[in-house]
Parts: sequence; C-alpha cells; structure tokens
Amino acid sequence: MKIWVRTLLGATALGLLLSGPAASDPFKIGYIIPNAIGEAGWDHELERGRQAIVDHFGDKVQVNAVNGVGEGPDATRVMNRMAADGTNMLILGAFGLMNDGLVLARRYPDLKVLHYGGYVNEPNFATLALRHYEASYLCGMAAGMAAKTGNLGVVAAFPLPEVLSIMNAYVLGAQSVNPDIKPVKVVWLNSWFDPAKEKAAAESLASQGAEVLYSLFPGTPSTVSTAEQLGVYVTVTLSDNTMFAPTKHLCSAQAEFGPALIRKIQDAIDGKFVGDDTFSGVKDGSMGIAGLSPDLSEEQKKQIMARLEEMRNGSFQPFRGPIMSNTGQEIAAEGTNLDDTAIKSMKFLVKGIDTTLPN
Amino acid sequence: MNIRQPFVLVPRQRQSRIALIAVPLVTISLTVIAAFFLFAGLGADPGIVLYTFFIEPLSSAYNLGEVLIKASPLILIAQGLAISFRAKVWNIGAEGQLIIGAICASLIPIYWSHSDSMLMLPGMILIGAAAGMVWAGIAALLRTRFNASEVIVTLMLTEIARQLLYFLVTGPLRDPMGYNFPQSVLFPSAALYPTFGGVGVRANLSIFITLAVTIICWVFVSKSFASFKLLVGGTTPAAARYAGFLPKQAVWISLLIGGAVAGLAGVGEIAGPIGKLQRIISPGYGFAAIIVAFLGGLNPIGIVFAGMLMAVVYVGGDNSLVTANIPASASVVFQGLLLVFYLATAVFARYEIRRAPPPLIPA
Amino acid sequence: MMDALTFVVAGAFAMATPLMLAALGELVTERSGVLNLSVEGMMAIAAAIAFMTTHDTGSFLLGFAAGGVSGLLLSVVFALLVLVFLANQVVAGLAVGILGLGLSALLARSYEGMTILPMGKITIPILSDLPLVGPILFRQDVMVYLAIGSAITLAWFLFKTKRGLVLRVVGENPQAAHSIGLRPIRVRFIAVLFGGLMAGLGGAYVSIVLTPLWSQGMIAGRGWIAVALVVFACWRPIRLTVGAYLFGVVLLLDLAIQALGLSIPSVILTCMPYALTIVVLTIVSSDASRIRLNAPVSLGENFRPAN
Repeated sequence: MKIWVRTLLGATALGLLLSGPAASDPFKIGYIIPNAIGEAGWDHELERGRQAIVDHFGDKVQVNAVNGVGEGPDATRVMNRMAADGTNMLILGAFGLMNDGLVLARRYPDLKVLHYGGYVNEPNFATLALRHYEASYLCGMAAGMAAKTGNLGVVAAFPLPEVLSIMNAYVLGAQSVNPDIKPVKVVWLNSWFDPAKEKAAAESLASQGAEVLYSLFPGTPSTVSTAEQLGVYVTVTLSDNTMFAPTKHLCSAQAEFGPALIRKIQDAIDGKFVGDDTFSGVKDGSMGIAGLSPDLSEEQKKQIMARLEEMRNGSFQPFRGPIMSNTGQEIAAEGTNLDDTAIKSMKFLVKGIDTTLPN
Repeated sequence: MNIRQPFVLVPRQRQSRIALIAVPLVTISLTVIAAFFLFAGLGADPGIVLYTFFIEPLSSAYNLGEVLIKASPLILIAQGLAISFRAKVWNIGAEGQLIIGAICASLIPIYWSHSDSMLMLPGMILIGAAAGMVWAGIAALLRTRFNASEVIVTLMLTEIARQLLYFLVTGPLRDPMGYNFPQSVLFPSAALYPTFGGVGVRANLSIFITLAVTIICWVFVSKSFASFKLLVGGTTPAAARYAGFLPKQAVWISLLIGGAVAGLAGVGEIAGPIGKLQRIISPGYGFAAIIVAFLGGLNPIGIVFAGMLMAVVYVGGDNSLVTANIPASASVVFQGLLLVFYLATAVFARYEIRRAPPPLIPA
Repeated sequence: MMDALTFVVAGAFAMATPLMLAALGELVTERSGVLNLSVEGMMAIAAAIAFMTTHDTGSFLLGFAAGGVSGLLLSVVFALLVLVFLANQVVAGLAVGILGLGLSALLARSYEGMTILPMGKITIPILSDLPLVGPILFRQDVMVYLAIGSAITLAWFLFKTKRGLVLRVVGENPQAAHSIGLRPIRVRFIAVLFGGLMAGLGGAYVSIVLTPLWSQGMIAGRGWIAVALVVFACWRPIRLTVGAYLFGVVLLLDLAIQALGLSIPSVILTCMPYALTIVVLTIVSSDASRIRLNAPVSLGENFRPAN
C-alpha cells in the first residue's frame, strides 16, 4: 500500500513538473466533441476543424480536445473543469451544451465561448452555425437530375429546425431541375445511433422505389453503404462520403468548420472578440460540395457549379419566394427571401414532402 | 469441477468486522492495480489518472459539490430500489420512472413559466413522485394481475418513456420562443432548488430529500418495524416468483416506492442542475442506482457510501478526460472493473471459507 | 405496397437473427437457473472484436469465431462471479454488461464509423426468383438459416435428450439434482458459457452482416430485447424463434409505414415494439399454469452445495 502511495505521489509530482507553464503562454482552447470521432459526419468534421486550428496557429494555441462525453450532465462537468483550469476559450460542438456554456460565460467574464447550433449571444458567448441548407440545395439538384422517375427518399433522425431547413432546401433543389419530382418520402429514425435501423430505413425507402436517398445528419455511414449495396444513388450532409459508396455516391455536402473558427480565435487573441452570430456558408468557404458523381453529365455538373457560384456571389439563395408549405400555407411570397432567423427556426416542410411533423 | 473442491463456503453467522473493512480495501486495490495497467496501456501516466479518479474529486468545494450532485440521485433511487430488491421484486426501470417524473413535474413550470409562487417547487415534487409511482404502478398492476415479469415490463417502459420525452421536447413542450430547438422554456427560479456552497458550486437543496429518504429507510430497516419488514422483507422464496406466489402487497409497495424515489430524482435533475426539460436528463442514474443498491449491501448506510464512491469515480472519470486525455470509454471500463472486483470479493463478507471435510470414502 | 410487404416479410429475418442467436443462448442459460442480464454487453464486445477481425482479415468466418469467443470470455467472468463467488445474478449481470460496453468502445475506438463489404447472400437458383416467396425464403444469408437451425436443434436437445433433461432438472431444483449425483455448478457453468457464445455470435452478426459497420453503442438495446424474448417465449426455442421474427417485423413496419407516407406519428411507431412486448408478455403470462410449467423454478437463485 505504501509503495503504491509513493508511486502515486511521485508520478503526480513528475506530471506537474512536465505540465508546467511554457515560456510563452499559448492561447488555451477547450474543445468539446460530443461523440466518438468516425470517418465522416459531425464529430469527424469537428475534429477536422480542430486540425485546421492547429495547422493555422501552430503552437500559438493549445487545444485540449475531449470527445465522447455526450451533451448531458457529464459534458457539463468537463466544461466546468476546463474553465476552472484557466482555459481562454471553450468551443462547444453540440446544441445541448448551450445553457451550461452560458452559465460558464457569465461566471468567467474573461472566458470566450463558441457554441455550435444555438441562438443565444452574450458579450463573451458567440454562436456558430453553418448554412448546411446551401450545399443541401445543390445535392438536391444532383438528386433531381439523377432521379429519372422522380422518386426521392430521406433518412433523418429527429425533426429539429436545422434538419427541416436542410430537407426543405434539398427538395427545392430537386424540384428546380426536375418538374416530375414525386412527393418525397421521409423516414424518421427517432434515434441517434442505431446503424441497423438506418440501414433498414434505407432499404424500406428503396423498396418503395426511391432512386436517390438522402442521409441527413447520419449517425453512421450505414445509409450510404446500404445505398451502394442496393444500387441506388445517395447524397449526404456534412462530409464527403464517396468512400462508403464508390459507385453510387452522387453528391455530398462538405462542411468546413475551420474558417469561422480561425476567425473567431484570431479575434479573441487580438482582443476583438464579439459575442455575435456567425452563420457561415458557401460565401466564406465554410460550405461546399464534394464527390460529384461521374454519372452526372458535364452539363449537369456545370449547372450545379453555376448555382454554387451564384450562392458565393450572393445572387441566389435557396429560400426565395414563392414558398408553400406542405400543409398549404404560403411561407414566403413571390419576390421575398426568408431571413436568417426564419431559416434557423424553421418549422414547416415545403410542398412536396410527404411526412408529418409533431405539433 | 470434476475434481473435488478443496474449499467450501459457509454462510457467516455474524458479520465479520475484518471483512467489512477488508472488502472495500481489497476491491479498491484490485481495481487500482488493473486500472494501472489499463491506463498505462493507453499511454497515460497512471499515477496522474488515479489521482484524478480518487483524490481530486474530493479536493475542492466545487468538486465536492459535483460529487454530491451526482451521488444524490444515485443514493435516492438506490434507497427505494433496495427495499424492492430485498423483497425480490426486480425493478430495472427506474430510469423510465425518473424520466416520467421529470416530464410530469415540468408541466407546472412550463405552463406557469413566469410564476414566482412558493407552491411551485413543492407541487413539482409531489407530481414528480406521483408520476414515477404511476409509471412503476403499471408494472405492479401487470405483475400482480397478469403475472407479467416486472423485469421486462419496467425495462420496456423505460424505452417508451425515453421516446415520449424525445417526442415532447421536439413538439408539444418545446419552448415556443426557442427557435423550435428541442427543449422547454427555462424554468423560473421559483421552480428550482436553491443552491448552496458558494459561487459556481451546483449542489442544491434536493440533497435534503435524499437525506430524508435515507433516514426513513434506515429507521425502517434498523428499528425493526416488524410488519413492514415482513411485508417487504422477502421471506417468500424467489423460487416461487414466476409461479406467482409473491405477495401482492410486496410487489405494489416495492414498485411504488421505487417509482416515487425515481420520480423525485427526476425532479431533482430538471429543477436542479438542468433547469429545463431537454432530450437528455439523466446519464443513466436509474441503472447505476441498481448497482449502488447492491454495492451498499441493500443497507441504507451502505448505500450512502456506495453512492458516494460511484459519484467520485464518475466525477473522476470526467476530470480525467481533461487532465489525462483518457477516452470516455476507459472510465466506463474502470467502473465495470470496480463492480466486478467488488462482487468477487464481497463473497468473503458473507461466507467463511473452510477447508472441505475429508471425503468419507477415500478417492 | 407489395414491395413494402416483401421488404418487411423478407427483411425481418435478418433483423431477427441477432435477437434469435442471443436469446437462444440466454434461454439455455436461464433453463439452467441462471439469469444473465449482461447480454447487451456481451453482444457489444463481440460486435467490436468481430468487426475488427473481419475488417483486418477480410474473413467472415474468423469474424464470427472471434465474436463468439469474446462473448464467451466475458461470460466466463459472469460465471465466475455468480457460480464461484455467489454474487447476486441481477447485479453481476449489470456489472459485466457495463464492463462489456466499456471495453467494446475502448478497444474498437480507432475503427469508429468504418465499414466493410457485406457478406454475400445465398441465392438458390430458380427458387429465389419466385415472386414474394423467393426473396423471403431463398435469398437470405447463411446465418439466418443457421439461427433457425440452431433453434430446432435446441428444442430437440432440451426436450428429447438426456443432457437436456439434466439441464432442466438443474434449473428446476439444483439441490435435488445435486443429491442424485448431478453437478449443478458444472452444468450451469457450461450453460452460461453457451449463452456467452451465442450472444457473441449475435453481436458479431450485427456488426459484420446486418449493418455492416462499427459504431459505438450500435447494439442499441438488442441485448435487452433478447432477454425479454426469452420470457415472452416461455423458455421454449421454437416459440422464441417466432417471437424474434415478429419483433423483426414490427421494427421494420415502423420504417415501411413511414416510407409509404402514411401519416401516423413516427413516435408511436417507434414505441410499438416495446409496447407490443409488454402486451404480449402480459397475455402470455396471465396463463399462470403455462408459466409454472415452463419457467425454471430456481431462476435467479444461486446454488451452494449443502455440506
């Protein structure tokens, strides 16, 4: 027992020595990635964002990344711990961490908090969001071009506002290039992590004749690899998924967390941090598409890239009137665009989507 | 087991004091040794990790507060479950009862979100406990009336409760001003347990509910309320369980008590550190409490220690993510090892090991 | 509509197979009088190890072998706890389950989100092209047939062989079994290990055939459903097979109904398997005499030879 205590104390002392402050204190960042990091998807992109920070700032920053803590009470404890350790900035990669981040921001006025997916601002609490719907519109165009009979299917987890905006843009994109798009079928998984269920959902949509599947915020690449096996095209949010469906991958949205993160960190280092909303997309390189299928003709690809260019120069946005909901309401009149608030808090489905929402 | 066993286990007539102290010590030593290799294998400094796991959680007011927040629901639920387990009623679904308790209690602050009525929190406590009882009562009804295994029913009801919560926070109960995000309005302060212990410490007065329940359980168990003990004390042989011989009152009382405390624990979460209804309100307290109940030997005082130990390990595990870069799953393995070693060593507290008597016929 | 029907009726076999494998193992374990609640953990560790093996070697056979062995090894821990150290079965099952879940996530963490190519299906010429019946009966993977085959074998073993009788006697009354010269501890040990092996095969099936990919937490409650299935089936293998299949149907019905675009709130559909389990369990259990006839009387009780 005594030996053990001595080893423990020795090891601890050694650890303290090794982790003592360096010559010039780096900017300390605590980085919360909610789930395990896979080959693609949300946590994968967060990890790429972390990499982008490290590549850009080198040893000027010290990033302490933690993954797999979920977004419940345990993540809170980790964040508290980081804040207490003198972290300069917290980057929170899950919506569910918003309120705890807010509490910390109020308690430590010098701490800067960046939060993904929320809607609250304070002087030292800023919100980051990506315009996934922009790339989704482009994926929808690809889907519309590939769907000869106009049958599309979507696999999604829960009807959250961001999910709805992505789904709506997708369907608008498909309708814009193909007038024969049939009512789009949606399967809600009501589960975050059940690859077997994702796979079965993809199969059920394919059995209904869907020619293109959309894997919307997938927990796993299950839908994508199933599409490959079934021989139906697939489009995906967030990451290039070509490797999971080498022949049937049609188009992926590709998120880049780096640009916005680097900008906010630089602001904080320079003392110019503002607790604002960053809603970044195609314009500043935060959103793009990847892995366009060779099955699309050169002309079709050009048409998609032209839309991308219009989004970049600001002459086009997916949610422009007239937009009708699938319950028959007019959401936006001819000639008007939905503003960012309306996009972020979306709770309707556009005409042509065949599913219902709770409430 | 072809060979004759050289040792036999004989139940102890009296509790062994040495075993009472030795069992936890041996358990922790074995866990520490195993964890040493585990963490070394992960490339972390085991000394630092073990310090983070066992010492640091007890080292500051903030960390102690965290341990209390975590221990309180575990102990609270475990006290209720222990009564049930002593009667051999297997309520495995406290997690679901916790969720339902939280959902129903949250209706008050969601519909009166600007009220500062003093009745708010007491009302939530009552409704939460009642809702937990109703949810557990379904299992009791099916068990007593139709003989359906409460293990399966409580388990399935947990999954249903979870789906219900997902549905409600993405639909009917979400904050209308919250940009349709899946969470309710923030509760007004009249709906929250007051915190204590200084700035930033999140420990709150719900601990006193845990304390009160613990004392009540302790009084019942140790001061020999004969009828009560007989009722739920488990004199019925488990052998007859599936045949339906378990006394109905025991099933009802066990499940209702378990449901009530789980519901209270649910209120403790939403009216405590969380302060609203959201998709995730418990990191599995209902399941962990089963283990706490057994780690504590189904004894009210033992449960307090077991709950504290579990909480220390949980908090230590979270801290080690930050300090030692240990993957989250490693701390789950650590908890698993702790429990397995405890269960293996606990045998020595209950049984004496004797050399087997020589065989009558020489082999 | 027809396609949806085929999808559900044919697809349910694959959905049911892991449940069937794991539940058959648990059935044997429970028949010996031991309640092992660590099925979820055993499936998880097996899914992880099987996936890593198949991913690295390309062999499904090795994957299943590795999965079965890892489920079996974890069940050794459980067997030691309850049979040698006389720990409470419920809590030992939960503890070993936690260990299995933690280990699966830890060991396979560098494989997170990876995929492998699916295992081929057996297609029987001509027969598999028959409308409806073809895809349902003659276009499944080999494990589907093996799972059903093992259910039939087990039914025969339990009720038609002497060893099956020994197993049941030990589950009914270990003291009596001991007094007539049987060795309850040994029988139980073997039964628990068999349960581990089968749960391991079931877990392996989920990660290398059903999905096929690895993701932390991918067992997603299937182990618990397997435990429920055993009670549901009154501890009888054939009934268990039917139950597992029905469960597969209900799981897929949720998705098929949504894909058809019928407007039933999806939350109700998602809850259906769980609600249905309760309903069926209630109906099955309410006939007390049937339960009494089949339930292993000593289930959950540890055995200590009296001397």
